[in-house]
Amino acid sequence: MNLRESIGIALGGVRANKLRSFLTLLGTIIGVASVIAVLSFVEGLNRFVKEKLLNAGANVLVVDKYGFITSQEAFEEANKRPDVDWGDVVALRQGVRHASMVVPQAGSAAAVRNGSKVMKAVSVGGRGAGYDVVDDLSIDSGRHLSEFDDEERRPVCVIGPEVAEELFANLDPLGRTIRVDRWTFEIVGVTKAKGKMFGQSQDRFVIVPIRTFSKYWQERGSFSIAVKSIDESSLPLAEQESRNIMRARRHQRPGQPDKFGITTSETWLELYRTLTGGIFILTIGVAAISLIVGGIVIMNIMLVSVTERTKEIGVRKALGARRRDILTQFLVESTTLSLSGGLIGIALGAGLALLVGAVSPLPAAVSMPAIVLGIVMSTAVGVFFGSYPAVRAARLDPIEALRYE
Amino acid sequence: MLISIRGLHRVYQVGDQEVRALDGVDLDIRKNEYVAIMGPSGSGKSTLMNILGCLDTPSLGSYRLKDAEIGKMSDDELARIRNMEIGFVFQTFNLLPRADALHNVELPLVYAGMKHEQRRQRAKESLELVGLADRMKHRPNELSGGQRQRVAIARALVNKPSIILADEPTGNLDSRTGEEIMMAFENIWKQGNTVILVTHEADIAEHARRIVRMKDGRVESDTINPHPRSASGPAPAHA
Repeated sequence: MNLRESIGIALGGVRANKLRSFLTLLGTIIGVASVIAVLSFVEGLNRFVKEKLLNAGANVLVVDKYGFITSQEAFEEANKRPDVDWGDVVALRQGVRHASMVVPQAGSAAAVRNGSKVMKAVSVGGRGAGYDVVDDLSIDSGRHLSEFDDEERRPVCVIGPEVAEELFANLDPLGRTIRVDRWTFEIVGVTKAKGKMFGQSQDRFVIVPIRTFSKYWQERGSFSIAVKSIDESSLPLAEQESRNIMRARRHQRPGQPDKFGITTSETWLELYRTLTGGIFILTIGVAAISLIVGGIVIMNIMLVSVTERTKEIGVRKALGARRRDILTQFLVESTTLSLSGGLIGIALGAGLALLVGAVSPLPAAVSMPAIVLGIVMSTAVGVFFGSYPAVRAARLDPIEALRYE
Repeated sequence: MLISIRGLHRVYQVGDQEVRALDGVDLDIRKNEYVAIMGPSGSGKSTLMNILGCLDTPSLGSYRLKDAEIGKMSDDELARIRNMEIGFVFQTFNLLPRADALHNVELPLVYAGMKHEQRRQRAKESLELVGLADRMKHRPNELSGGQRQRVAIARALVNKPSIILADEPTGNLDSRTGEEIMMAFENIWKQGNTVILVTHEADIAEHARRIVRMKDGRVESDTINPHPRSASGPAPAHA
């Protein structure tokens, strides 16, 4: 009995009982579809993160008061630490030998106005020289902030394209002024659009020189300091040097925990991995349950099929079918059944992921390994849950089977 | 000798009761014989047929088919013998309902491992032989009872077996159609096949050239039929 013959028979059976086949396959379809959909989102996120997060903040570590905070208690504890001040900036600039750049940053959110037009919750940041590199910003029109702006604490700013669009519409914003809180700033540059990340605009900001920021918003406290290492391999060295300098400036004894925080893109990646890992495990759980349920349904329907076709099995045996011929026939049948479910599931899952990806900020990408996984999973379900009914069919006594009505 | 049976016993265990379905049967059948095995229900004729058809094996004694001892064979070997040497014709036809006539006739060749083109050709020839060349694409439910049984006969013949084993082949047919089927067996026999007919109907058994009567698991009588009925009517006087 060749394989093509068996597959033909199996597909004939699936077609003959369309509704029953569909209901039988529902579990497998849902299981495979959910795996494909989630894997597509994870894959989409992976590509997105690689593209955006890593390129922008490559080889950058950030020293600040808080570090990586995950709980209210940790935040309250970290609040007691000393602020990161201009002295720390100077010390890091002088002391970190593996740094190509040390850029002080400070920021808050504020309302920004041009006459009667108001834009709320705009990110307002102070930046030192080199911010264009660590923040991955390039100028669309005008110029970047300069060392001179900073030293003179000039009231100038560079704005993101969304701010320019919303407050100035068709006017050229260069040379005009905006009000941030109670102060007025002259616009010297507009950056190129960066688009959205996780649904959040990256073009909605006002950047002023860091010392200008300190002058106006001093009471808002602590800096964060971006340290860019010379290259990828020197990042851990730059981190160690930064830590030593910061600890020395805080007179910390060995063994005491840092009274400041250092985060690298690795920290964010770690969080991201934990997050997607969690999603992944959850999906595997959901998929496993629906595949087991789907498999049991397939097993049940195959047992029904074996009983219904007892006479047919008897006839086949009388005509010379061996045990393994019958076994193969029913295994191929259950596998064909579950594989069709798997293929429908793959199409459904991929379709869903791409649809959601198209209408929402969640990125989605269907990957080849996910499709292969879907095929392998559904085949395995068919073979595993089909083997018991198939063995029962193969072991039927031909005389009893022929006598069955 | 095509079939040689010596001291054949078949004992079943039903609950704590021992049932001796066959209780010492000796039987020889030569090539190209036309034998009817007769007997009332419970006589052991069905058990004998199952063993002759290699669906069952003896508890004791010997059954040699073409000099091969069947009792010692494994399941797979028995399947191969059924495939190559036995052509079954059943009372209830036992065709696969979803397959057309051609596919049904092809089935033994599928299990024989024959290539697609070749087995299609053989199945067509076999169907032509029973006069169903124009019904190849019909499914069993599109055929009359007589046509179904002729498809079954074509299936039994297709792998050129040593024995055609027919179990009450006319039991589900009206008498006129039954006569047609018996004529088909007559032809098959005349073409050189060995036909074994299992029946409880004397009318049907009368077609055979030799009649073996069973009773209580033993052969009661084994006689040459002096006046075989030709298939077209009562036994002709000039035979």
